[in-house]
Amino acid sequence: MSVSAVSISQFSLPNAFQVEDHFTTISKPIWRWRRQGSPASRIRCGKREAGEMLATSMGKNYYELLGVSVDSNAQKIKQAYRNLQKKYHPDVAGQEQGHEYTLKLNEAYKVLMRENLRKEYDASIGERRGNYSLSSLGRTSSWNGPLRPQGLFVDENACIGCRECVHHASSTFVFDEALGCARVKLQYGDDEQKIEVSVDSCPVNCIHWVEKEELPVLEFLIQPQPKEGFGIFGGGWERPANVFMAAKSFNKQTHNENHGRNSRASTVEEEETPAQAKARADASRKINMEAASGLFSRFWQWQNKPFGGKKVE
Amino acid sequence: MILCTSSSFCIFCNAGMAEPAYTVASDSETTGEEKSSATFSETAIGIDIGTSQCSVAVWNGSQVELLKNTRNQKMMRSYVTFKDENPSGGVSSQLANEQDVLSGAAIFNMKRLIGRVDTDPVVHSSKSLPFLVQTLGIGVRPLIAALVNNVWRSTTPEEVVAIFLVELKAMAEIRLKRPIKNVVLTIPASFSRFQLTRIERACAMAGLHVLRLMPEPTAVALLYAQQNASQNTNTGSEKIALIFNMGAGYCDVAVTATAGGVSQIKALAGSAIGGEDLLQNMMRHLLPDSESLLTSRGLDDIKSVGLLRVATQEAIHSLSSQTNVQVDVDLGNGTKICKVVDRGEFEEVNQEVFDKCARLIIQCLHDAKVDTEDVSDVIVVGGCSYIPKIKSLVMSTCKKQELYKGMNPLEAAVSGAALEGAVASGLSDPFGSLDLLTIQATPLAIGIRADGNNFVPIIPRSTTMPAQKDLIFTTAHDNQAEALIIVYEGEGKKVEENHLLGYFKITGIPLAPKGVPEIRVILDIDASSVLRVLAGVLMPGSHQPVNPVMGVRMPTVDDGHGWCAEALNRVYGSTLDLVTVQRKI
Repeated sequence: MSVSAVSISQFSLPNAFQVEDHFTTISKPIWRWRRQGSPASRIRCGKREAGEMLATSMGKNYYELLGVSVDSNAQKIKQAYRNLQKKYHPDVAGQEQGHEYTLKLNEAYKVLMRENLRKEYDASIGERRGNYSLSSLGRTSSWNGPLRPQGLFVDENACIGCRECVHHASSTFVFDEALGCARVKLQYGDDEQKIEVSVDSCPVNCIHWVEKEELPVLEFLIQPQPKEGFGIFGGGWERPANVFMAAKSFNKQTHNENHGRNSRASTVEEEETPAQAKARADASRKINMEAASGLFSRFWQWQNKPFGGKKVE
Repeated sequence: MILCTSSSFCIFCNAGMAEPAYTVASDSETTGEEKSSATFSETAIGIDIGTSQCSVAVWNGSQVELLKNTRNQKMMRSYVTFKDENPSGGVSSQLANEQDVLSGAAIFNMKRLIGRVDTDPVVHSSKSLPFLVQTLGIGVRPLIAALVNNVWRSTTPEEVVAIFLVELKAMAEIRLKRPIKNVVLTIPASFSRFQLTRIERACAMAGLHVLRLMPEPTAVALLYAQQNASQNTNTGSEKIALIFNMGAGYCDVAVTATAGGVSQIKALAGSAIGGEDLLQNMMRHLLPDSESLLTSRGLDDIKSVGLLRVATQEAIHSLSSQTNVQVDVDLGNGTKICKVVDRGEFEEVNQEVFDKCARLIIQCLHDAKVDTEDVSDVIVVGGCSYIPKIKSLVMSTCKKQELYKGMNPLEAAVSGAALEGAVASGLSDPFGSLDLLTIQATPLAIGIRADGNNFVPIIPRSTTMPAQKDLIFTTAHDNQAEALIIVYEGEGKKVEENHLLGYFKITGIPLAPKGVPEIRVILDIDASSVLRVLAGVLMPGSHQPVNPVMGVRMPTVDDGHGWCAEALNRVYGSTLDLVTVQRKI
């Protein structure tokens, strides 16, 4: 449940750079963007909620923990879970070593095995599986009348906030006072002439005609994303400097991902051998154990001391 | 906005845990403290103490072997006779006939009485047994006594079980030619944690160290996992099995998902219904208006009831193989029963018991989120598995044409316990026969009292173990400086319907309007089922507990737990109440 809570209360989609980073590393087992022990995560731990702790301070996500790829099906996850349990369950590995690890395994398994929890979790860590519906995301334009091959898009990076377009075609454009720039509210909300005037009236030519297929991606990417803070540095909001380039690489990655999934589905067993899975599990476990200075293990030391004291002595 | 994250990992560690934790060690009476210590020098044996029969099994290096007593029995009657100065149990002593067990000198069915208070209906139904079960109905432990030379000699269920365990231990030591210390014991799924401490106490009295207490159907599940391990080691395809275990005292159901030797318990359900209930219903059917006779403690009456009991039991056994049976018994008090009973009659008088069994199965399937078509095998074990109605009702509830074959119904649980004993002792087998694991689940929900008299579960039932969950509560009154954390186990909505496990007070809550302080309660259950309760106070804006966190091992209550809750209520009323902070549903 931690995950669901986190993803709701701290629902944050990764910014464009993280998206790119993630997709370029999709085939690699270890994702880098939640690195353990980095200054960023330490500072974050101090001020974020417990659920977040779980994800960050351990330095790996549930997929890494189980040693499965993001698009693994239930059966694969089950198998990985069982193999890891067989190694690390307290019955096998002993109480001191096994307890914490198995707790995490159980949590990861529970989340990944339930479709709704998994979706929320994926959103919270920035993974994306399956058909990703962009239209469900907030500030997108709707269509007046039938879908047409092209739609209007305001590059909000370039917009200077002159309100000319809103003035000429008030049903189509809307001015976002918070962001200080205009955007499209309703495609073809006004008649063609008005729209044409409004597009021409833009002093910086930031209103573009784009293919309707591209529109959702662009509208998604142009939304300002919260930026990770590094102590007193950074933070705030950001959007890609060139939204069209960002959209291009986004589409490419999405395509690759889908393609990869299809080919993987057709050749079932080319994934990884159990030995590889084991090696990976060992590695991630080692990382975890090494992080003795991590806050998480400190909690466990704290908790085990009073209780387990008698046991150890 | 969701406040409760019930995340496994608490905020108390956020700032690096500068403060020491304040813990309360639980009563040293229980042996659980050293449970699962790392050093295993010997193979733990598996013991199944049944309500009526018990057995011992051990992994002999290549397979599970049931140990036999000097009379070459694998199954031994669970009773202890207090006839002479030294009590003796069913392992070593041989009784001339069944009637001796029913003379009042022998104590049996202890599994139904251990850890129960005298308001418990199960205790009341035990009053028709030949020995003395005296109740006062105020929530304390019942008085149990055996008739020795016309004196009711008092004992306790723990003592009886311990005597019995000593005999089993001695028998195993002779057979295995080595001292026995570590054991895996099977227990009914419906046992409360308080009852488990009583079993542990009995083991401690017998000089045994409990490595694991295993719910009976999960032991059967482990055996099933072993039997199926070779078939699906690497295919990863899992088989879902429903295990129905009904003995003399308890009925348990488990749903397990098995693949590659790993048995993952999806759900557990259990109730204190069993062959004893069938027997008593049948006795009342054969001899109507016998209530006063059944509970009478006169010598002649005990004898008469004993005769009736033996005759009824034989009749029930016969009805498993034939459709009707002639009951012919002289109770010696002028009453003669001469009657033909058919199977339909038997099933009719016990309809309630059978309905309850079916409900347990349905509940278990529901908890496991499994449909009947997903179930590959249905396993029926235990003494009652010979009853045709039980078989048919399990099959029809699971919509299956046949039951799993390949398990001895009476030996399955103890064999599973022996396997677990070998696995938990760190043994491995060159042929991979011990490449096994049981992933247990909690049989009952555990939570605390909050929102008035309500039971708020923190760890729901059928949660995979080890488990750790937390929930945030807050104060019910303005400027409330203290709060009482009362931990219960069970399924009832109100606290009275559940088992009290323990209680402690959180003090030093900063004065604030009600609803402001956050009281975080964390429950942690490790793989050997040890429960710890942690609680600490947080003020908004801070991520560090105000005071050292409380950590208490539960259960902490010993006898008279019914009284404890009442006393707490009387003394504190609602002044130390807690309320839940909006929870995620």
